[in-house]
Amino acid sequence: MPKVTVDGQEIEVPAGATVLQACELAGKEVPRFCYHERLSIAGNCRMCLVEVKPGPPKPQASCALPAADGQEIRTDSEMVKKAREGVMEFLLINHPLDCPICDQGGECDLQDQSVAYGRGGSRYDENKRAVTEKYMGPLIKTAMTRCIHCTRCVRFSEEVAGVDEIGALYRGENMQITTYLERAAEHELSANVIDLCPVGALTSRPYAYEARPWELKKTLSIDVSDAVGANIRVDSRGREVLRVLPRINDDVNEEWISDKARFQVDGLTRRRLDKVWIRKDGKLARASWDEAFRAIAAVNAGASVAAVAGDLVDCETMFAAKKLLGALGSTLIESRQTGMSYPVDNLAAVNFNSTLAGIEEADAILIVGSHIRWEAPLVNVRLRKAAKRGAKIFLVGAEWETTFAAEFLGEDLTVLNNLPDYVNDTMKGAERPAVILGGAALANGALAPALALAEGWNLVREGWNGFNVLHMAAARMGALMLGFAQAGGIADLIAAKPKLLLALGADEVNFATFDGALKVYIGHHGDKGAAAADIVLPGSAYTEKPGTYVNTEGRVQYADKAVFAPGDAREDWTILRALADALGVTVGFDSFPQLRAAMVAEVPALGVEGLANYGALPAAVAGAKAEGRIAAYPIKDFYLTNPIARSSATMQECSSELLHGEDVLEAAE
Amino acid sequence: MGILGKIFTWWDGATIGTSLFSSMNGEHVGTDAQGNKYYRARKKKTVEGRERRWVIYDGANDASRVPAEWHGWLHGAFDDLPESNLPPAKIWEADYSPNATGTTGAYRPQGALERGGQRARATGDYESWAPDA
Repeated sequence: MPKVTVDGQEIEVPAGATVLQACELAGKEVPRFCYHERLSIAGNCRMCLVEVKPGPPKPQASCALPAADGQEIRTDSEMVKKAREGVMEFLLINHPLDCPICDQGGECDLQDQSVAYGRGGSRYDENKRAVTEKYMGPLIKTAMTRCIHCTRCVRFSEEVAGVDEIGALYRGENMQITTYLERAAEHELSANVIDLCPVGALTSRPYAYEARPWELKKTLSIDVSDAVGANIRVDSRGREVLRVLPRINDDVNEEWISDKARFQVDGLTRRRLDKVWIRKDGKLARASWDEAFRAIAAVNAGASVAAVAGDLVDCETMFAAKKLLGALGSTLIESRQTGMSYPVDNLAAVNFNSTLAGIEEADAILIVGSHIRWEAPLVNVRLRKAAKRGAKIFLVGAEWETTFAAEFLGEDLTVLNNLPDYVNDTMKGAERPAVILGGAALANGALAPALALAEGWNLVREGWNGFNVLHMAAARMGALMLGFAQAGGIADLIAAKPKLLLALGADEVNFATFDGALKVYIGHHGDKGAAAADIVLPGSAYTEKPGTYVNTEGRVQYADKAVFAPGDAREDWTILRALADALGVTVGFDSFPQLRAAMVAEVPALGVEGLANYGALPAAVAGAKAEGRIAAYPIKDFYLTNPIARSSATMQECSSELLHGEDVLEAAE
Repeated sequence: MGILGKIFTWWDGATIGTSLFSSMNGEHVGTDAQGNKYYRARKKKTVEGRERRWVIYDGANDASRVPAEWHGWLHGAFDDLPESNLPPAKIWEADYSPNATGTTGAYRPQGALERGGQRARATGDYESWAPDA
């Protein structure tokens, strides 16, 4: 633990810390452009110069200098001030003065730091450098003349994303950042370079010229595009969500979000359900809320009613539906739309027990039936970190392009019954072994054999639980905690032949199997569910209602309401509450706080932010054998997995250009 | 306008009293493109030491119908009559038009129903779903 003196203040810093970190620990601000906590140290912007004694009598780059015992660091001396002014002057030599038309304006590191640390005026009369335009795909807008060569984007794609997409050409002043052969950046985390870019060189293409940061209302929310539950900030103006940015949460998403989470929000303004529709003579016709409620009451379903929850709904909506069905005398509730029927009597068996941050520590990982890059890009980042630390990773299932060293053991699930010796030995010998089951594995009934393997390998040990299930739906864990699961899956609902079916944003259900039922769709987007429904009631999307979400590791998180739902649409729970009146039953809540209180009273874990405790893993069933093949994964198109993304023009463009290789002609600018 | 209108209304041109007053006390000095007639008092320096000037409208008594060049003369900004005082109109100058508020020619902003209700996209717009669309 070296002791250093920062501006006369003596502090102790952790071993291996840099001088910059020491200054931050001492509460001193050190300006920087290239240094970033989650990336390797480059030391090429020179903005973090400080005076360090003992050492050469010149300012030193603090980000790349290890803190050593007895160092005397000054961040407030005349030398440091002059050094910063000089560096800033050099950076601004080739930086265009186009702040008024730059999208980074107002949230630009260069702008802020030149005000705080730069000279008052310019002494530069020569010509400025100009850089030819680069193309980086449908998400990243480039203005490379603004680039200050910090190389954060290069380091991000190399180190975090794990793909060599972005690099630099030439050197010195002539250096240019570009994608390889100017192809689009294809990685599913590629847009994080927009946040990383300290200047306006890389900005968001869909958000270009939309708004200034100071006009936006910032709302803290939770992402629903996958089951990771990334912490996001929803930026809105008036009634429209303009963009989504990640929030820092080291336990969940660190500082990143997937491109889908970031850019699907333009789908919130397209194909919206904003009025009530009732099917008359085979065609949906506009109607009023009263008519719809009367039509639902007219079915006289009694207890013959079922509810299916979709992938994006919040816990409150599901709980309100459960209460409504309970008041009617029915328990037919299900959330696994596609027909999965894994046992859920012990939720520890279907939880990501290692935790998202914990999986980084694993040293041997067996992944069964999960295309992790698409099912949870942020977990892929963690796995890459684990692999870089030396974890051995094996995969069972169809091959996909991994971003870390891994070995595919084949598509055949029977390999689990008889794993090769070296795999067995690695898993047995590992200190922190882990198994990850994906959606394809659950659908093929691999849960029981995986539990048997877990017991055999002793995955649960002191301070470590290596048994993980990776879900794909943001609503899944919350739904399971609320009991939205039947023993036989959705087949139980079909067998019960309900007279009334409530689809809560459920679009993946095969509605043809509910032939005799009056199908009521409560949701926000006109997708498969609304098209198949008999009555459509407009609800709210995730940005338009407060809600509780539980991610795949069982982490309870709360989201706030950012904007109002369009047209006649209402918050989902109010629709269910009104429906209760129409059906003549009482559900016991009249306001959102009452609803949440009732939910927490029934499932106390939902009332506490953070990891829910599901107890110990169930005992493995003896003789469980795996069978089947995983030739394909449930996600066929990463960019179009939910109704919001399917409505989004940006996501459709990504899908056609990045996944299907069609050359999309760029709109004339 | 018939004689009855002249007797009972006041909103088009001069009433009988004003016409009489104008012909007895006023000197007709000019007529603008719209037919409005401009007068000045024969007796000099009557109102607060300044010459009294007035207009008899040819049609509606709407002050905005006085074109810019006569407006200056009428308000005492200059004494020479516009025809002799001001340079001739340029070919690119548009004809003077009075205030159109309250008429069908009134300005309607983009997106107004009278202009077809079509406007550029704005924040908060959304596209709603309709079956089979």
